[in-house]
Amino acid sequence: MKKLLKNIAILTVVLLLSVNGYSQSDDIKVPLRFDHYYTYDQVVQALKVLHKAYPDLTKLEVVGKSEENREIYALTINNPKTGEELSKPGVYVDGNIHGNEIQASEVCLYFLNTLLTKYGNNEKITKLVDKNAYYVIPVVNVDGRCHFFTDANTSSSNRGLRRPKDDDRDGLFDEDFPDDLDGDGNICRMRKKDPFGKYKTDPEDPRLMIRVKPGEKGEWTRLGQEGIDNDGDGRVNEDSEGYVDPNRNWGFNWAPQYVQGGAGDYPLSGVGLKGIADFIMQKPNIIIGYAFHNSGGMFLRGPSTKSQGKFHPKDIEVMDYLGKNNEKIVPGYRYLISWKDLYSTYGDFGDFLDNIIGAYTFVGELFMSSTETYRDPEQKTEEEDDMFRGSSNERNREKLKYNDHVAMGELYKEWKEYDHPTYGKIEIGGWVKMSSRLPHPFMLQDLVHRNASAVIFSAEQTPEVEMEVFEVKKIDKNLSRVRIRLVNDKAMPSISYHSVQKKAYPKDILKLSGQGIKIISGGQLTDNYRDKVNYKEYKPEVQFCQVPGFGKVEYQFLVSGKGNLVIEYESMKAGKIKKQVKL
Amino acid sequence: MKMNRLSYSKTTLFFTLLWLFASGISPGQQTTLNYSKYHQPDEINASLVRLAKQYGQVARMHDLALSPGKRKLVILEIGNEVNSVDKKWPAVFVAGNMEGIVPISSEAAVYLADLILSDKSHYDGLTWYIMPCGNPDAAMHYFKRPLVKDARNDLQHNDDLDELTDEDGWNDLNGDGWITRMRVKDPEGIWVPVESDTRLMRKADYSKGEKGIYKLYDEGIDDDRDGKFYEDGPGGVNVGINFPHLFKAFTPTGGLWPGSVDESYKLMKFISDHPEIAMTFTLGSTNFCLVPPKGGRKGSVDLNKIKIPERFAEMFDADPDKSYSMSEIIEMVKPIVPEGFEVTESVVAGFLGLGAVVNPMKEDLVFYKDFSEKYKKYLKEKGAEIDRLDPEPAKNGSFELWSYYHLGLPTFTMDFWTLPKVKEKKEKKNGLTSDQLKKMSDEEFLALEKDKIEAYLKGVGAPKQFQVDMVINMVKGGRMTPAKIAEMADKMKDDKKPEAGKPDPKMKALVTFSDSVINGKGYVNWSSYNHPTLGEVEIGGPVPFTDNTPPATMIDSLLSLQVPWIFEIVKKLPDLKILKTELKLQGAGVYELKVWVENKSFIPIPTAIGKRNQRPPPVLIILSGRDFELLSGKNRTTISDLPGLKNKKFTWLIKSEKGNVINIELKAVNARGDMKQIKIGGGK
Repeated sequence: MKKLLKNIAILTVVLLLSVNGYSQSDDIKVPLRFDHYYTYDQVVQALKVLHKAYPDLTKLEVVGKSEENREIYALTINNPKTGEELSKPGVYVDGNIHGNEIQASEVCLYFLNTLLTKYGNNEKITKLVDKNAYYVIPVVNVDGRCHFFTDANTSSSNRGLRRPKDDDRDGLFDEDFPDDLDGDGNICRMRKKDPFGKYKTDPEDPRLMIRVKPGEKGEWTRLGQEGIDNDGDGRVNEDSEGYVDPNRNWGFNWAPQYVQGGAGDYPLSGVGLKGIADFIMQKPNIIIGYAFHNSGGMFLRGPSTKSQGKFHPKDIEVMDYLGKNNEKIVPGYRYLISWKDLYSTYGDFGDFLDNIIGAYTFVGELFMSSTETYRDPEQKTEEEDDMFRGSSNERNREKLKYNDHVAMGELYKEWKEYDHPTYGKIEIGGWVKMSSRLPHPFMLQDLVHRNASAVIFSAEQTPEVEMEVFEVKKIDKNLSRVRIRLVNDKAMPSISYHSVQKKAYPKDILKLSGQGIKIISGGQLTDNYRDKVNYKEYKPEVQFCQVPGFGKVEYQFLVSGKGNLVIEYESMKAGKIKKQVKL
Repeated sequence: MKMNRLSYSKTTLFFTLLWLFASGISPGQQTTLNYSKYHQPDEINASLVRLAKQYGQVARMHDLALSPGKRKLVILEIGNEVNSVDKKWPAVFVAGNMEGIVPISSEAAVYLADLILSDKSHYDGLTWYIMPCGNPDAAMHYFKRPLVKDARNDLQHNDDLDELTDEDGWNDLNGDGWITRMRVKDPEGIWVPVESDTRLMRKADYSKGEKGIYKLYDEGIDDDRDGKFYEDGPGGVNVGINFPHLFKAFTPTGGLWPGSVDESYKLMKFISDHPEIAMTFTLGSTNFCLVPPKGGRKGSVDLNKIKIPERFAEMFDADPDKSYSMSEIIEMVKPIVPEGFEVTESVVAGFLGLGAVVNPMKEDLVFYKDFSEKYKKYLKEKGAEIDRLDPEPAKNGSFELWSYYHLGLPTFTMDFWTLPKVKEKKEKKNGLTSDQLKKMSDEEFLALEKDKIEAYLKGVGAPKQFQVDMVINMVKGGRMTPAKIAEMADKMKDDKKPEAGKPDPKMKALVTFSDSVINGKGYVNWSSYNHPTLGEVEIGGPVPFTDNTPPATMIDSLLSLQVPWIFEIVKKLPDLKILKTELKLQGAGVYELKVWVENKSFIPIPTAIGKRNQRPPPVLIILSGRDFELLSGKNRTTISDLPGLKNKKFTWLIKSEKGNVINIELKAVNARGDMKQIKIGGGK
C-alpha cells in the first residue's frame, strides 16, 4: 500500500512537471527537442534513439552502474571510415555530476544531437565528426538526476551520491531528509509569525521578508527548509542523502573528509564514478574535456588547489585561447581559475582529467540567474555576479516580478499556512525546485546551443598534425640528409606540456626505418639555417617529440643506404601518419 | 682482495645462531604450514583455505581481488560471527606483505591465523580479518630465478617513456641466479672500495681530494640500446605505497592515484565496508610496536598556535595577527552557531582549512610509547635482546599511514627481522646516550659537564647551529627537555644517509651477517665479466633479500617469539562499560538520570586522530523503553571521545511513571559495549 501511494505521488509529480512544460511524456524522436528537461529515463531513451538513427557513427555503452544500480551510459561518436577512435583526438563531455544540476545533461544531448543531425549537411560539423572521437556521458550522477525529478527537492538539494553517511554521527544513516509537508513536489522554506523574529514583511512585496533594523519590531522567524524532525533528535533535516560529493571523490589530489567535505571514504568510492574512471582510462586519446554543472555562468579551469602550483605557461596559453573564446560564445560567462577565482577543491574531476589523462579541461557552470530580469529599459544593467550576489532585497523583488510576468508564476510558491508537529502554525513557501539554478525551459534552447558551441570551438582546436619531408639532400654517395617537419595548425599541442613536464605519458614518436637503410644520426633541428641539431645519442631512428599548437617542430636525420625510407609519426592524442620517401 | 671482516658482539652472535638453529617453538598445535621454508602466495592462500575448511564454523575465506598477474588476494575471517553480515563484535584487520618484498610477513600472517584458531579465547568477542599478502605479484619474485627484489606488481608500465614497455629489465649475466650489481672503472665514477673491506663501496670524498674510481649499475645489459640499464623492467605499481595518505603523484612505482590498482582499491573498499574494524596490524618492514610512528614532517598545523584568517577573525571578534589554541577557537565559535550544533575540533579544522594532519597526535603517542616500552621488556624477558638494525620508517602512501591518519584507527605494525647490528669499534666509555637523556630531569641534565653534552651532540651529528650553549639555555628556559633533545637526536641519526667517505652501515651489517652466519651466501664477491657494451666489468654485491629475509630455519623461532605480542595489544582494544547509573526524583514524576561510562582499556576511543578526522564510527548512549519522555537530552547521545582508563558523566531529565523500565545501551560499532536497565522508582 505504501509503495502504491509512493508511486501515485511520483506519477503526480511527473504529471505536474509535464503540465508545466519542464518535462515531456511524448515519444522521443530525432532530432531531439530542447524545450523541456529530460528525466533520467528520457535521457537514456534519447541516447538510444540517437544511436538507432546513427548506428554507423555511434556506439552506446553502459560504463558503470550507480549505487542504486542505475545504468550510466556513454555515447561515443566516431566515423570508422576516417579511422579508429583511438587514432583520433578524443573529446570528452559530461554533465550532471551533481544530481540537481540537470541542464548539464541537456547540453550534452544537444551537443550529440548537433553533431549527428548536422553530419553530412553542415560542412563544419561533418569535418569535426570525421576528425575527432567524442565520448559523451550526459548523466554522471544517474541516481541524483532520477531523485531530483521524482522527489521533492530544493534547486540545490540532492547533489551527492546515494552512499549513506551518518552526517550527524548518531549511528543512523540518512534518517532525516527534508520533508515535502504540503505535498507539492518541492522543498520550500518554513516561517513562523514571531514578534521576536529577526525579519519583517517586505513592504514592497509581501512574499519577501527583510531583516529588521535595531529597535524595529520583528514579525517572522525563519525556520529553514521544509521538514520535520524525523529522528526526534531536536534537529530538522540534518541527515539527508549521503553526503559524498561526486566531484570531490576522484583520485587525483584527493583529500579525506575532514579536509575536503564530501570526499567519501576513499578515492573513487562512488561505484558509478569508478566505472566512468575505468572507461576514461581506456581512452588515452582524450585531449579536451568539458564537465557541465550549474550555476553562475563560468568556464573554470584548473588547478583546483593552489598547492598544485601553476599550469605550464604554454598550457595556460592554450586554455586562455579556448576560455576567452568561450566568453565570447556564451555572453556573460567568465573564464576563471578554479581555486583562485572560486574556491579550492580536492578530488576534483577536472584535476583528474588534466593530470591523469593529460587533457585540457573546462568546467562549465551553466546559467546565470541574472538573466531572469524584469527591468526598466532605462535601468542600467549592473555587473552581476551570480555566485556571490543575486540575493539582495532589490534583486529578489525583481526575480519575483520575473516569476510573475515572464515565468507565469511557475518558479515561486506563495506562502501557505501549515500545522507543523513541532512549530505549530507556520507558513510554507518560497522558490520551487525548478527555479534559481535552472533556466525556465524557454531559455533552455539558447543555453544548450551556446554552450555546445563552446565545446565545438574546442573540438575544432584539437591537434591536426601534418608531416612534410621538406628536404632530402644527397650529401655523399651513400649518405642523405632528410629533414622532416611536423606542423600543427590548431591550438592544442599533440601532448600537453604538463604531461611532458610530469613525465605522465610518452611523448609522440617519430620513427624512421627501411630495408637496407641505416639512420646514422638524428635529432631535433633547432636552426635550419645554421644546421643546428640536438642529436640524440642512442637510437637516432626513434625520436620523441611534441608538436606545439599553432606551430611546428623539425627533425633532421643523416641516413645511409638506398631505397624506401619509411617515416612514421604516432601520437597518443594526435593520430598517426606514415610516409615514404625514396632515397 | 682485502677483507677485513667485521664482527658481532658475542651476545648478538649467540642469539643470531640460536635463532638460526633453533628447532622452533611452534604455536603448540598442528600447524598449517611448515615454518621452515618460505611459501609462494598460492601456497599461503591454500593454507588459509585449508584452515577455513578445518574450522568451518568460525573461519571463512573472502576473495578480495585479482592482481594484474592474475593472483588472488584473499582474506581469512575468523570469529564467531563469520556468517553474519552485521557484526556485533569489534574486529582486527591484519595486512601482510603489502609491498610483496617481505616474505616472512606472509608466513607471519598464517602463523597468526594458526595461533588464533588454536585457542578459542583469541576470537571470543572478536573478529579477525587476515590478509596474508597484499602484493602477490611482487611476492612471487622471491620464488623465481634470477632472484630480484622488486615491489612492483605485474601491471605493464612504460617506465622510461620510450616506444616500448617493460623492455629493459634485469639480466643475470653471470648466471648465478641473483641480480646483483656491476662496477666498472670509469673516469666519471663516484665510487671507491672501502679500505677495510674492499667488497664494499663508498662514495669518494671529494672534500679530501679523493677521486672516484667506479660507476655502479644494476646487473644487466642495455636490452633496448638506449644507453641505460634496467630502466624499464617488468611491472608497474608497488601496491604497498598506493594508499591516500601522503600519496605522491607522478612517481615511478606509486601508481597513477591512490587506489589506482585493484589490490589497494578493493582493500580500501573492504575496510570501509567493515566499520567493525577497530585496529589494524601491518606485517612488513615497519614496527610501530617497537618504534612509535615518526613525526617531524613539515606541513602539520600546531593546534596550539592557530592563526585565524582575516575573513573569519572579524566574525569571531578575534585578532588575525594573534595565534590561538584549538580550545580557544572552539569557545569563540560556539556563540555564533545555531543552537544544538556541536562545535568540535574537526568542525573548526574543516572551516579554517587547517589541512591534513601529517604527524602522529601527541595524545596517541602516549599509548604507542607505553606499548613500545612493554614490548621491549617482553622481548628482554624472552631473552631476545638482539641488537638489530632499526625497522624501516613508514613510507608515504603506505597502508599503515592510511590506517592511522585516514581511518583514525590504532595502527600497529611489525617487522620480524632486520640484520644484526655490527659491533661498534670505538665505543666511547662514559659517553652520554639518548636512553640516559630520556630518563634525565632538567636539573640532572644541567648538572652535566658541558664537554659531555658537546660530545653527545657531535656524536649524533647535530647541525652546527645546534650549539651546546644554546641547548643548555633552552633547557634552562624550559623550552626544551633532555628527553626532547634525545628524540631530536635520534631522528637526526635516522635521517642520516651514507655520507661521502663512509660505507653504508647497512652494507656493513649485511656482509658481516653473510660472513658470520650464512657462510657468505648473502654477498657475491666481485668477479670480472666481459660486458657487451661496458667492456670489462665486475659483478658482485648483496644477494637480494639478504637484508630483510632471514634464513628459513629462523622463521619459526622468530615468529613464535614475536607474533604472540599481537594478542597483548589486541587485549587493549577499547572496552566500554556503564560504570554507574543514578536516578533521582526531582518531583512530579520528573527524574534526573545520570550515567557514568568508562573505557576500561588504555587505548582511547577514538584515537586523537580519529577524533580529529571523525572517521571512526561514533560511540553512543541509546535510551529506550516505553512510556517515558525526555525533557532534556537526546535518546541517542553521541560521545565524542572516551579516553583510555577514564570515565564521563551524562545527564538527562526524564518524565515517567513509576515502574517503567529504561534500557541504557552503550554502543559503538567497533567496540564492545554494555547495557543496563533501570526501573523508575527503583526495584527490579
